[in-house]
Amino acid sequence: MSTISTLGLILLMLMILVGGKAGAQSFLALILNFGLLFLAIVLVAFHFSPLIVTLVTGMLVLALTIFMSSGDDLSSTVAFIASAVVLVVLVAVIVPVEQWALVQGFGPEDSEDLEGLSVLVGISFVQVTTATAILSTLGAIAEAAMAIAAGLSEILEQHPQVGLKALMGDGIAVGKQIIGTTFNTLFFGFFGGFLALFIWFTGVHYSFGEILNDKIFVSEILMILFAMVSVILTVPITTWVMTRAVAGQRKRADKAKMGE
Amino acid sequence: MQVMKGKRVQGWFWLLALVIGGLLIWGTQHNAGLYHDPIMKVTQVKTGRATKETDDFHNQDYQTKQTLTGHILNGSYRGRSLTVTNTYSQSGAMDQRYHVGSQLFVVVHQHTGQKLTATAKDVKRDTPILTMIWVVVALLLLIMQFSGFMAFLSVAANGVLFLMAILLNGSTQGAQVLWIFGSLAIVFAALTLWLVLGANRQMLITLATTLGGTAFSIIVALLVFHFTHERGMYYESMQYVTQLPRPLFLAETLLGSLGAVMDESTDIISSLFALKRERPELSANQVFKSGRQIGSTIMGPLINVLFFIFVADTFPMAMLYLKNGNSWGYTFSMNMSMGVVQSLISGIGIVLAVPLASFLASRFMEKKVSA
Repeated sequence: MSTISTLGLILLMLMILVGGKAGAQSFLALILNFGLLFLAIVLVAFHFSPLIVTLVTGMLVLALTIFMSSGDDLSSTVAFIASAVVLVVLVAVIVPVEQWALVQGFGPEDSEDLEGLSVLVGISFVQVTTATAILSTLGAIAEAAMAIAAGLSEILEQHPQVGLKALMGDGIAVGKQIIGTTFNTLFFGFFGGFLALFIWFTGVHYSFGEILNDKIFVSEILMILFAMVSVILTVPITTWVMTRAVAGQRKRADKAKMGE
Repeated sequence: MQVMKGKRVQGWFWLLALVIGGLLIWGTQHNAGLYHDPIMKVTQVKTGRATKETDDFHNQDYQTKQTLTGHILNGSYRGRSLTVTNTYSQSGAMDQRYHVGSQLFVVVHQHTGQKLTATAKDVKRDTPILTMIWVVVALLLLIMQFSGFMAFLSVAANGVLFLMAILLNGSTQGAQVLWIFGSLAIVFAALTLWLVLGANRQMLITLATTLGGTAFSIIVALLVFHFTHERGMYYESMQYVTQLPRPLFLAETLLGSLGAVMDESTDIISSLFALKRERPELSANQVFKSGRQIGSTIMGPLINVLFFIFVADTFPMAMLYLKNGNSWGYTFSMNMSMGVVQSLISGIGIVLAVPLASFLASRFMEKKVSA
């Protein structure tokens, strides 16, 4: 058996042991997300517009990730609406910045990997790199939105009559608790992945100025920064969507009572 | 009255942030003097005709030559005007189109007589990157206030530690990469959690969960590597590798897992502490059940975070492989397989941390949590 399938099986078993049916669903969501990502790459290779492919894939990934986890209806719906809003805001930030920074495609450090490959393939790499930045942030948006919504929903479950103002405060408080570690997830995730690149920089003795203007370096750091912006924005947006949803529920409940 | 005052103070902070941002952008546009390499500012662009290119795989692209006129901003050639040519393609994988106002690093070849010949090397990118860093810091401080500042501090402190570890790794020629980053992981986790949570019981429980979960996942990975003989793992497909790839891969995975496991344990344990504050009468078993419930909700999304960080990044190269006539399977093996292995190992750590966090929190939380 190959290493990938063995590790995959172990992960599946553990997820079922810990999360039961919900765990199996999350694992399925992971597989489907991989399928969507691969499909997106294939579609772009067939000359579909990278940005449109990414937006559609992005919405599907968010829906899959959020609704296939075991959250209750309220927190899942709130998390999905909030993360979709954040995704749209983020696209509006990423598109102009990628055009401005000119970090598309590959840098001189990639030449060895590119040996024997034709790079003149007629697909806009500005758009491909923009799509990459958006896709690499998707997981972080969904996770942050779910964490806030799940925390608030736990509080609502234990304390059904909590006031809207207090709920808003609770949301920001949960956000403040998670922001530090969420940032570190992003930091370690990205820096772990680019350990080799940074070792390259020190090994070849790049100067500080060269690193700061290097295409690959800037491209990577921008990806981390986009992910951080999206996580920061997710906190108030998710809390706000949740208070709206709870307010709506209570209004309906009041009306039903009046009707009796 | 107090609300009014708070609003006004916040208004001043927003204004201050805007002014600092403006200064930063202006400053990086005029900092050519800080650079050793000559920088040219483009003042005029002449664009030639596009020529069609077709490669062996029938990919079509257009290449255009542009003639850029401008002057040097720094160094011994400061003020000298020059003309360089640049070729860009429609796809722009390895090249880029320049515009009036672009600042470029150039390599000067010859300076006999009046005429200066040079080639454009790359564009100056410090303005966009510093601007984005400023946007993140400003948003963080304005929305998250003190917690935002601490989050920023912990990322900055980890960045410095990371840099030191890389320099240490360089000075040992990469022979100790796993030990260096393994022991640093412990320091990273302790420092981060101390900065984010403060030194208290909650922090200790979270730290124990983080280290336990990460260590378990690496042990499981090593066992699987041993029994499957690493079949289907292509170390040669790793990018930018300048030293022995296997320990480097493990160190990368270790670091990647660490952040996510830390994130998850903090989420679960802080939610459980908040719950206990709201409902002090809950028993340890009820707390454990709540923890498992929260954990099984967030573990899936969290594995996804790492999956997208590790694998989405291979998009441009994977697409290029497909456009160069490679099969889907080969494209996957050469670009995505290592990222998938990393995601799976991290996933195992993330799942194992759920029962660990719930157990430790339910058993070692104080009877009455102080606010």
